[in-house]
Amino acid sequence: MFRKYSVLLRMKYVEMFAYRLATIVWMTGAMVQPLITMMVWMNIDPDQENAFIFYFAALIFVERMTSAWDVWELEREIREGTFSYQIVRPFHPIHWAIAENIVYKALFLVILIPAWGLLAVFIPALRLDQIGAAQWLLFFCALLLAAVIRFLFSYTFGLLGFWVTKVTALYGMFEAVSLFLSGRIAPMSLLPPFLKTISFYLPFRYMVGFPIEILTGSVQGMDIVYGFGLAAVWCMFFMLAVLLLWKAGLRKNQAVGG
Amino acid sequence: MSIQVEHLYKQFRVHVRQAGWTGAVRSLFKREIRTVEAVRDISFTIPSGEIVAFLGPNGAGKTTTIKMLAGLLYPSSGSIQVAGYVPFEQKAEFKKIMSLVMGQKSQLIWDIPPMETFLVNKAIYEIEDRAFRQTLDELVELLELEELLTKPTRSLSLGQRMKCELAAALLHRPKVLFLDEPTIGLDVHTQEKVRRFIGQYNREHRTTVLLTSHYMGDVTALCDRVLIINHGKLLYDGELDMLTEKLTPYKLLEVQLSSIPDISWDAYGELVDAKEGKVTLRVPRERIHEVSSRFLQLFDVRDLNIEDPPMEEVITLAFQEDAHVS
Repeated sequence: MFRKYSVLLRMKYVEMFAYRLATIVWMTGAMVQPLITMMVWMNIDPDQENAFIFYFAALIFVERMTSAWDVWELEREIREGTFSYQIVRPFHPIHWAIAENIVYKALFLVILIPAWGLLAVFIPALRLDQIGAAQWLLFFCALLLAAVIRFLFSYTFGLLGFWVTKVTALYGMFEAVSLFLSGRIAPMSLLPPFLKTISFYLPFRYMVGFPIEILTGSVQGMDIVYGFGLAAVWCMFFMLAVLLLWKAGLRKNQAVGG
Repeated sequence: MSIQVEHLYKQFRVHVRQAGWTGAVRSLFKREIRTVEAVRDISFTIPSGEIVAFLGPNGAGKTTTIKMLAGLLYPSSGSIQVAGYVPFEQKAEFKKIMSLVMGQKSQLIWDIPPMETFLVNKAIYEIEDRAFRQTLDELVELLELEELLTKPTRSLSLGQRMKCELAAALLHRPKVLFLDEPTIGLDVHTQEKVRRFIGQYNREHRTTVLLTSHYMGDVTALCDRVLIINHGKLLYDGELDMLTEKLTPYKLLEVQLSSIPDISWDAYGELVDAKEGKVTLRVPRERIHEVSSRFLQLFDVRDLNIEDPPMEEVITLAFQEDAHVS
């Protein structure tokens, strides 16, 4: 397994460099929306300027580390029939997707961490000296869980491609809901109480918002425990969904195209 | 037995959509579903080491059958065994002993050189270093891949890519090989090369090969046995030569004469063509000896040639005369 992964990672790494420009454009492009949202909030409430800068900078980081594009890839592969070659080979296609996620996110990591360090020199709001070791540990655990949940969520929808040809349309609808309930438009603390309650139970908060809340300290004590509990439940839910949809999807598979 | 198929059926449910604006709107509210029977009661066996061709016009059910044999499609009913495995069970052991090549699809990773795909296959098929080297060297030599290994796949020509596809599919030395239109779109020269490679590979490694093709050249060059399928039904299973005899109970007699006499040829056979001293007749098989010796006695024959009708003609007949073949 380890050897297979090391080869897949290497291949994805080579492939990523084949698309150098696309990777850079894609990465910087994804920062535009959070930056503009940040400026809107800073304009609404200038007193909280520093808090917003920190929140949205953390958001950009967490967004990049958890974003999942697998639904697009799967939909294309199933619709065009190239997925067939993944099915006939003796290694589950999900491993290819996992390897790809690891490679891209490792690249984002080595770019974003020095960038943060550099910016922190000029922007005091970005300095991290207040954060303790335990908080860091919790943050990274929550971040890892968030990446896993978001990946599985995307993969689950991708597998629905066996039934629905244009599954990204469906996914887009959930993404729109997620935009508001995951903390990407506004910090959780600014949501109206009923949305806050809803988002506590839905999976979206655990895909983006929860790790940021740990980092900013806006979630404390038992709420952190509940958060991890719900994240774990959603993680298992989507694992099960992937497993079941995979089995059922293969029976449904039309392996399109000559 | 390497491949055993019994009473195989496959139905697809497809949405019927009317053309035009109203049709598009109507299909939003009421979806018409039609069942298409792609494969209807097909049975055959292929012993290991044999190379067999699957023939049929577009949409006959060839590819559907191959996809079921490779475990990609779930059969509606019937049973399949390939080298002792049930393909749809998706066992890793099964996947390691078989390979599928689709002429219209690529398993090579598009933006990076074929060698990267080979290395990925080496890992996921768990091929030992030495075996991998050996097989790769052999394939590189047979298929003349040396120059292609390090070019990005997308920059390869179709023929070059197809050769790399074959190599990628054979690295793990499969016992059973499914080839779905492996020569589609290739020029005559490359077709010939790919064909020769498949034949040689089959002889040397005793690999069971099932191939579909539109090109008669592929079939006559590689296979003694053919399976003919149309409208999802198996029409013929047997030797190619036998099919010719069954379907075309005549041979073509070409005679080169010093001059063409002005007589009726009806006593000899059915006239196909007569010009520039050359007479071509369609003669019933059982009369061919008698007719040719009469020719030699009665006319000034410069050259005489007896041929089977072209394969294309035989196959066209086979597709038309559903009932007569089986």
